[in-house]
Amino acid sequence: MTHEDDKTLADALIEARDAGRACALATIVATKGSTPRKVGARMLVDPQVGLVGTVGGGCGEAEVIEAAQRVLVSGEAVRVRVDLTEDFTTWSPAVCGGVMDVFVERVSGSSG
Amino acid sequence: MVDAPSAADTARLLLDVSEAGGRGAAATVVAGPADCLGLRLVRLDEGERARTVGSLGTDLDPAVLSLLDEAISDTRARDGLRTPAGHDDVEVYVEVRRPVRELIVVGAGHIAQPMAHIGALLGYRVIVLDDRPDFATRERFPEAHRLVRADFSDPFADIALHERSHILLVTRGHKYDYECLIRALRTTPAPAYIGMIGSRRRVRATYVQLLDEGIDRARIDRIHAPVGLDIGAETPEEIAISVAAELVLLDRGGSGGMLRDVERVAERFFNTDPSEGGAP
Repeated sequence: MTHEDDKTLADALIEARDAGRACALATIVATKGSTPRKVGARMLVDPQVGLVGTVGGGCGEAEVIEAAQRVLVSGEAVRVRVDLTEDFTTWSPAVCGGVMDVFVERVSGSSG
Repeated sequence: MVDAPSAADTARLLLDVSEAGGRGAAATVVAGPADCLGLRLVRLDEGERARTVGSLGTDLDPAVLSLLDEAISDTRARDGLRTPAGHDDVEVYVEVRRPVRELIVVGAGHIAQPMAHIGALLGYRVIVLDDRPDFATRERFPEAHRLVRADFSDPFADIALHERSHILLVTRGHKYDYECLIRALRTTPAPAYIGMIGSRRRVRATYVQLLDEGIDRARIDRIHAPVGLDIGAETPEEIAISVAAELVLLDRGGSGGMLRDVERVAERFFNTDPSEGGAP
């Protein structure tokens, strides 16, 4: 992430915390093969504001958002493996040929 | 200070240390005992001293702290997963932050404008410096973080240079470029990048002068002059792109050639047996 991305995300995290709002933070912690975003890319899922940042868009990101919704309810962090290696001939935007591990945790709100 | 730094605290701490010209690293537990998941430990190196924020428990702290210090001192360290020594069941995600990358454009002329623009796009904090107040203006450099009026005999007097400073010398006169170059070369720690525009002949003349001044060969070898990648750039905009491409290459690695020629997808495809997935 660039310094600007860092700043945007920090602002969003702080705003949510100060408002006492529970959000889910997704971080790409490992990748294999070709993925749209690399290790360190982050996305905050803020139920009020929406998405801040991206972990790559497409179907892969949709999977992460679903995980984020579960984490928001349970409060338990999870590690999601997103597989972007489906058949190239589908022309799906999610086809990159790689696999990424995303850590999804609840931040702020009741968990502090 | 915060006891258990949250994601927000951690982001803020790392951002602040980076903007102040320091270094920091944070570990988040992503695998291990359930009550540890998401806990963070932050290490900040603010120059004079290092401090620690948070704790993962007395058992884990020493091993994770040494991972963080390692990441801080290794300038090539990347964000990623690590396993603390002696804790095979634990995985931490380590993120490292260094001083915010700066692009210092010395000389606010016609190359400086597109350079400041592209530098900002690439995420550099751009500082434009000139001795003429009419040139380093907000109107001409809307994206610049700072506009500095400086005397070229001591151009970096008001700027804290560090290992993430990228200096591009594009003043209106070769004599000024040279004066600034000498100053940049004598800075410690050495800046990440020193580039100077100039023809082969002018660059050569500069090197002769530097040797006369007692600057050693190793330092001279670090200068990027003429600047940029060889893409046939002619206009100021093209030159700025060529310099920007060089900065990306130095940061990320790569050959600088066309990916088509590097990967040779077509060539490999047509020369491969159809039974191995090649052209029929």
